[in-house]
Amino acid sequence: MVILPLIISIFTFFGLYLILSISFNLEFGYAGQPNFGKVLLYGVGATCAGRLVATIVMWYVGADVPFFSALAADMRLRWGAESPLATAGLFVLALAVAMVVGGAIGYLLSYPTLRLSGDFLAIVMICAGEIFRIFLKTYEPLAGGPFGLSGVPGPFSFVPDPHLKETLYMLLVLAIAFGCYFFAQKLVNSPYGRLLKAVRDDELAANVLGKKVVRVKAEILTIGSAMAALAGALYAFYIRGVYAEDFVPMVTFTAVTMTMLGGLANNQGVLLGCLILTLFDRLTRASFFNMLGIRVAFDISYIRYTIMGLLIILIVMFRPKGLMPEEPVKTPAIEMAEEKLAKRAEESTSP
Amino acid sequence: MIEEFMSLLFLSLLLGSLYSMMGLGITMTFKIVRFANFAHAELVTIGAYVSVIMINSLGAGVLEAAISAFISSALLALAIDELVYKPMARRGASALYLLTASIGVGLFVRYILSIFADVYGMLCVQSKRMPMRIGEVAGADITDLHIWVIGSLVGIVTLLHLMLTRTKLGKAMRATACNFDLAQASGIDTDLVRRITWVIAGGLAGLAGMFWSIYAPINPEIGWRYLLWAFAASILGGMTSFYGTIAAGLIGGLAEIYGITLASRLFGVSLSYRWMISFIIVVVVLLINPKGLAAIRIEAIREWLKAPRLKLPKFLSAKRR
Repeated sequence: MVILPLIISIFTFFGLYLILSISFNLEFGYAGQPNFGKVLLYGVGATCAGRLVATIVMWYVGADVPFFSALAADMRLRWGAESPLATAGLFVLALAVAMVVGGAIGYLLSYPTLRLSGDFLAIVMICAGEIFRIFLKTYEPLAGGPFGLSGVPGPFSFVPDPHLKETLYMLLVLAIAFGCYFFAQKLVNSPYGRLLKAVRDDELAANVLGKKVVRVKAEILTIGSAMAALAGALYAFYIRGVYAEDFVPMVTFTAVTMTMLGGLANNQGVLLGCLILTLFDRLTRASFFNMLGIRVAFDISYIRYTIMGLLIILIVMFRPKGLMPEEPVKTPAIEMAEEKLAKRAEESTSP
Repeated sequence: MIEEFMSLLFLSLLLGSLYSMMGLGITMTFKIVRFANFAHAELVTIGAYVSVIMINSLGAGVLEAAISAFISSALLALAIDELVYKPMARRGASALYLLTASIGVGLFVRYILSIFADVYGMLCVQSKRMPMRIGEVAGADITDLHIWVIGSLVGIVTLLHLMLTRTKLGKAMRATACNFDLAQASGIDTDLVRRITWVIAGGLAGLAGMFWSIYAPINPEIGWRYLLWAFAASILGGMTSFYGTIAAGLIGGLAEIYGITLASRLFGVSLSYRWMISFIIVVVVLLINPKGLAAIRIEAIREWLKAPRLKLPKFLSAKRR
């Protein structure tokens, strides 16, 4: 059963990064705001969720041990294993809090977008992400500094079999990810989607026509950031901890590559790009190569990053819009109009 | 007390000069190609590794190592431009896409280097030629590395200034940086200007890399780690001003060393926060005024100093009625 953990990790990774990529697609593909600070929101969501749950559980457990010690982590996980309802409730609460905090930070991030254009905005966002990571790594009371915060009980802690636990969590992540996907599809196949594209294509014209461009930017960044924070919270429960070194810019670049590869402003494209890169990421790990029995003289992850870099260069040079092209907005009105036209075409051809 | 102040001062000057050297490359390329090159990090790393190989394995001296670091980084920069940036710019890529491409280039070069470094066991090396103490100033030790770095920076600035102001090529470079299309229309070979810019920028980065390898152990991530200091120097300096970049790099070094020492003494803040300082500088400068130090206009300050500020009431004025 060695293959099962691989499949679980592939799909969980796919779910998490699908949420991140969809949020980047909404912000950049549809609304033209390059939010290269995805990992900032990812980390904020994970820290909020992990810290909140760990604090509440520790308060319940009430023991007098240092918060970030392995003993405390163990006690928290054991408490989680015995209280299914409480952990489920805490899970939902943590997701909600993470989304609210993420949305708030996203709203704050819209202020830089007003002052800075494309590449300077990207630099600021990358720096913001790194500031957060270094802060998280250095400031002990938040997430245990360099050692991280372990022992965040997930919603399925009560399940005794670890494989079943992981599988259930994978299904939950996939469900939430596809929920985000359908939410994004509904959001963009509507007059609001047209508004986003208008802001992306020609801000001045949109302003002239009376659309509140500033407000739209703030809104889409809030929504996108809330989604990214949701992904972060799910990640915290997946690895049952919060570790600062997980929130590196590579996370952002991975999500960006998935979106650009799949197709900017095309959510199906993002699905495709996410799937391709997930397979590529998970199947170029040391664990997989060990399974196949291949051994190389150096660390395998170097190959992954090399090819990822090459992939970014090739995509940006030859297919910056991605594999799947952008589709026109399909509002319900347009769908009905298409049906009527199809029906009329049928009636005219039938005798 | 004075010794500590002086030793921190020399450390700041050392680090600040290195930041300025790296930032100069970013500023130069930004002026000509109009985007922020994240692959600059790798030019520094390659210079560092080449110099380590030269000094440790081939027994070369510092001068030969410097020249080889300069040449190798310059060639790499040229190759990257010809293969990636120039074709994209010709097709009209926006600055954001060029930046993303440069991130990809950086990743690619960094991890190809990592593969080779891992295979040859060079993942964490330092040059055998360590800094040697050559004297004391007011109680603080000075090593020959200090002299080299600060001396190189002064020399580079002087050479660049002379080249840009006194030579025809320098004039052509300034013209291209000012208005690319007009320069092309005037018959300036903008391709040559572009190539020379990359060579100089890459060379400076390689030189800085060599100094890093002498100063501390290096690993393939070292360019990326110090890249944001290069950006901080360039952005604080105004991204299009040489002297701004140099001043900003030195300010950055002083801010980092004195800032973190004061913060840890006065507020008990951990020293690990020093890695945040470059990012904070970038964010703050870009949010307040992207032109950085260059936004300070000397003429405006002079006028403000000259102009009368208080309006004297009429009965106090010297005008005769």
